[in-house]
Amino acid sequence: MSNPEISIMVFGQLTDITGTSSLQVPLQADSDSMKAELQKRYPALVYARYIMAVDRKPVTGNVSLSGQSTIALLPPFSGG
Amino acid sequence: MEKRKPRNIFVHGAISTSFIAENIERHHSRHEIGGHSIFLGQVRADQVEGKTVSAIEYTAYEEMALEKMQAIRDDIFGKYELTCAHIYHSLGKVEAGGICLFVFTSSAHRKPAIEACSELVERIKAELPVWGKELFEDASYQWKENK
Repeated sequence: MSNPEISIMVFGQLTDITGTSSLQVPLQADSDSMKAELQKRYPALVYARYIMAVDRKPVTGNVSLSGQSTIALLPPFSGG
Repeated sequence: MEKRKPRNIFVHGAISTSFIAENIERHHSRHEIGGHSIFLGQVRADQVEGKTVSAIEYTAYEEMALEKMQAIRDDIFGKYELTCAHIYHSLGKVEAGGICLFVFTSSAHRKPAIEACSELVERIKAELPVWGKELFEDASYQWKENK
């Protein structure tokens, strides 16, 4: 059995790379392996500026993920 | 600590001048207030390589933005002697000339209102997960960058 899928929210200019604002990808153990998995699927992400948020908090370092994690990819903010 | 549901700041489309006027009017009964400070962000028709921005379409990670906004409010209220603060940001399309951000602070004397308003605007632009897509007249677009 492969990993269960988890959905990832994608915002702003990153949707130009993914083509969608919601990705379904196999759950990874932690945020670093999730980033690696996403970059494998969307090589342009390697060059994109973004942060990952888990449970609405920006990830600094590496954090573990579970099926209940809320994951989002956030490019530089440009509100106002 | 009890988890409060963060108050909403998002308004669909442009923020109307009547909405702004009503907000000001609502403070006439607050006789402890001696000064208000208001910032209005307006969509600018930037020129980019001969093309003109006709509108900005805003999207946000709403839940995260509202939680963050609540944390910023708590900081600001801890730092300045404010009577109240109101913040509204547009989502969706706002045509050039439309108001997309409304920050309104009040205090007994002017300085806290002015300084808190300015700090709120800076923090909103830097810290809220909101994105602006600048739409050109020919239907092409570019993603806004905050300077």
